[in-house]
Amino acid sequence: FRKTHLSGFFSAGIHSKLTKDGSLIFQSKSTDIHQNLALEDWIETNVDLTNRRLFLLWRSHAAVVIGRHQNPWAECDLGAMWRAGVPLARRRSGGGTVYHDMGNLNLTFFSCRKLYDRQRNLKVVTEALRRARPELDVRATERLDIVLNGKYKISGSASRLSRKASYHHCTLLHSADGSALQSVLRPSTPGIHSNATPSVVSSVTNLTDHAPSLTWEELTQALSNLSYAPYFGLSSPLSLLDPSDESLFPGIGCMASELRSWDWTFGKTPKFTIETELSLSDDLTLEHTTAQLHIELKNGLISSIVITVQDQWLQQTLINELCDVLTGERFCPHRVAAAVSTLIKSEQDETQRRLHKLSNTVISVMG
Amino acid sequence: ATRSDFSSLWSIETAAVFVLFVCVPRVWFLNFFKGTLKFTDKHEWVRVEGSIGTVGISNYAQEALGDVVYCGLPEVGQKLEQMEEFGALESVKAASELYSPLTGEVSEINTELAENPGLVNKDCYGEGWLIKMSIEKPEELDGLMDQSAYDKFVKSLED
Repeated sequence: FRKTHLSGFFSAGIHSKLTKDGSLIFQSKSTDIHQNLALEDWIETNVDLTNRRLFLLWRSHAAVVIGRHQNPWAECDLGAMWRAGVPLARRRSGGGTVYHDMGNLNLTFFSCRKLYDRQRNLKVVTEALRRARPELDVRATERLDIVLNGKYKISGSASRLSRKASYHHCTLLHSADGSALQSVLRPSTPGIHSNATPSVVSSVTNLTDHAPSLTWEELTQALSNLSYAPYFGLSSPLSLLDPSDESLFPGIGCMASELRSWDWTFGKTPKFTIETELSLSDDLTLEHTTAQLHIELKNGLISSIVITVQDQWLQQTLINELCDVLTGERFCPHRVAAAVSTLIKSEQDETQRRLHKLSNTVISVMG
Repeated sequence: ATRSDFSSLWSIETAAVFVLFVCVPRVWFLNFFKGTLKFTDKHEWVRVEGSIGTVGISNYAQEALGDVVYCGLPEVGQKLEQMEEFGALESVKAASELYSPLTGEVSEINTELAENPGLVNKDCYGEGWLIKMSIEKPEELDGLMDQSAYDKFVKSLED
């Protein structure tokens, strides 16, 4: 589907919305994180951005979004997310981890590589905010964050460069749920050693905490009314598009499926190791011990696992059997629980109890 | 022919080779010894040494990318088609896909880049190499740009 469906995209309805200078501002109807990320990918892959500027506004229901080369176990609490029904998405751009919900506005600036200029894009945003609320002190930093009053982050950026196209997207905190954000943006797993891109933790705030009268509609209006940005040159009216419409965006369903897949979301995690101590106690006899856990992970799969238990709490041969069963499995609690169940059932009494305990403790490390 | 004839021939040859190597411009000299560089329009280079191609990104690419902070490279043994995405570089500016210049199989990856991704910026034609691969279709090399064609290409982008 690469670069072959321009006519599909520029069908009658859409083409008429393009201004003379080939710019287009639109808003996504979807609030599904994977569908919106797929929309960004579709545009970047299929639209010839030479002499065109596209600007997209979108938001999604609660989700955690990690950067291209990040480690989800290090960045977010997968167990808490699972219990709260908050999905995880890995985007194709770089950068750090963010929490999205309906109080967070996402802005994506598409251009050809030549015209890629993130500082200019952020200037458009800060100027739109200042027009809407002149009393707000908003500034873009060198790290391409936008900060309020010099210290609270209200926006972070990430971007992607490919063959000829580029996109730069950023978040904008209007009225996001601060406590939900804090509860999910912490590691699942202790003892991770990795060279994956880490997030830079910042204090965040919502625009509405400082300008309570700023409604969502006013914010989107201020940002889409970019005719006042002469150097950006966008002046077309806002169009509403449905990114699940295959007739407008042929092949987008496939792209969204890839983004939803385990292989993309977890399998693309750069290789890492876990080195941590486990605390074990027999539920019946209360006999207590510790164990050293060392796991090597590649493509989200356990490539090697070594458990060393003190005090002969459990036979080493059995522990090694457990490790053999786990090698090659996805680093996922459900998968691992299923894999070890047969081994546990084949044992009895104290051995079974302790093996079960050890397995559960190892599983809890997975988030 | 006598032994002395051969030895005088040998010394003429030696002298000619010596002169050639000293007098010829340094870039040509390096290319001749290190293997000629060929370039793609996505700013990757490949250097052929025997049946193996070493792949990296050009100076234009590393400058455009900014400081590389992470290199996502393929596995050894992975088969690649020409133009297939084989990895990504993440820099302070963006995440950028890497495209295979040729069809072949990955024989080696530059493990130095895990600890030191900045090598891609510091020495993009040398220590910042990304992967080595077998060359399944040598005819694909004919479709790539040589140094002067690539220099012209880069100049056209900057205009």
